[in-house]
Amino acid sequence: MKHSRNPHCILFASVCLMAGTAFAAEPEDIIKYRQNVMKSQAAHLAAAGAIINGKVDFKGQLGDHAKALQATTKDIPSLFPKDSDFGETKALDAVWQKNAEFQKLAKDTQQKAGALAKAVAANDSKNYAARFKDVADSCKACHKDFRKEEK
Amino acid sequence: MFVRGRFLLLAGLLFMAPPTVAAGTSTAEPAVRQGEYVYRAAGCYGCHTDEKHAGKPLAGGHALATPFGTFYSPNITPDAETGIGRWSEQDFLRALREGLSPSGDHYYPSFPYPSYTRLTDDDQRALWAYLKAQPPVKQANRKHDLKWFARARSFVGSWKSLYFTPGVYRPDAAKSTAWNRGAYLAEAAAHCGECHTPRTALGGIKSGMHYAGTRDGPDDSVVPNITPDRKTGIGRWRASELAEYLETGMTPDGDSAGDLMAEVIDNGLKYLRKEDLEAIAEYVLSLPPVEHAVRKADKKPAKKEEFE
Repeated sequence: MKHSRNPHCILFASVCLMAGTAFAAEPEDIIKYRQNVMKSQAAHLAAAGAIINGKVDFKGQLGDHAKALQATTKDIPSLFPKDSDFGETKALDAVWQKNAEFQKLAKDTQQKAGALAKAVAANDSKNYAARFKDVADSCKACHKDFRKEEK
Repeated sequence: MFVRGRFLLLAGLLFMAPPTVAAGTSTAEPAVRQGEYVYRAAGCYGCHTDEKHAGKPLAGGHALATPFGTFYSPNITPDAETGIGRWSEQDFLRALREGLSPSGDHYYPSFPYPSYTRLTDDDQRALWAYLKAQPPVKQANRKHDLKWFARARSFVGSWKSLYFTPGVYRPDAAKSTAWNRGAYLAEAAAHCGECHTPRTALGGIKSGMHYAGTRDGPDDSVVPNITPDRKTGIGRWRASELAEYLETGMTPDGDSAGDLMAEVIDNGLKYLRKEDLEAIAEYVLSLPPVEHAVRKADKKPAKKEEFE
């Protein structure tokens, strides 16, 4: 019947369209998304640092920041699909060309963030500063070879 | 040029080379320990080691791409053939103070002698003691790959007469001991201004733009403005935050140092004493703020088509 077919077609078409966009996200959008995730990590790291270094007294929130770091560093390489290497990004070609090294450093960050979250969950306050520094060092280790300054 | 000078030097010294400092100098020797600290503060390792290609420490070959061409750092290990093993202490002091090779050739200021000339006699000699105590590595120097206008030796001579003032750092009596220590470390050792101060077309330091950042940094990098300007510099940073950054590489926003500055921190600054990093921070944040935006944010992003 003429009337019932059309809505199905439209529905089918729009499902295809949605699936299509989900699969072929614009590289610009991927770059923006990855930068936002990275910025959130920076913000949580700085917030955690301020608590750990005793600058502010939001001890009750330290676990939230640590967990957020752990969650968002779970799979950093997935934020760098092929084709997201041009335009408004500071990511260097090395991300894709020396991908094994990049993966290794990303894995290290994931582990260091996990260790910080674990220390905070266990209330192991005398190790906060060291675990925190490990995370900061791990970020720097990757940015050293894989991110261009200010471009 | 200075590569050729080095060969002449080696040829000239073949017959008259004095015995080098006895091997196995104890690293516990105070001059060597002091020298190691100067070596860290001055960032020798970063430029003289080709870390990207797993080069041996201080054996040179690290490329430094600049608007004048690509410089390759020389081997400064005590290897007699390819390094500085046949140098005398006087040769070394002259290189740091006057930018001259042992045979009297001008060094390009990619070697930051305009800063190292400000180091004290004591620190320069300690640095020599440290370098002599490092393991020699046999690795021949690579020739600089320069643009035509930078190849002439007279270019460096004129450059020096225009922009180079030799002489040790003179403390400012009106300022505190910590401030002077910070100024000494930043200007003489860490040579911050060599990258962070913009240069003229002739490669001289632009006056009035001290530490104001540049779009033409080494390796095509954008070097940030580190004057205490609140809008375009680091005027919103507190001294404690800057000192922390110099140690850990973490900015007050939780962002991380990357690229060249991460190298500078990892290979040198993070080894400095806390009070020295605080002194550098005090000095840098006391400088005149310069409003100078260097980010490429206003530049149009490259389109993918242009690469294909």
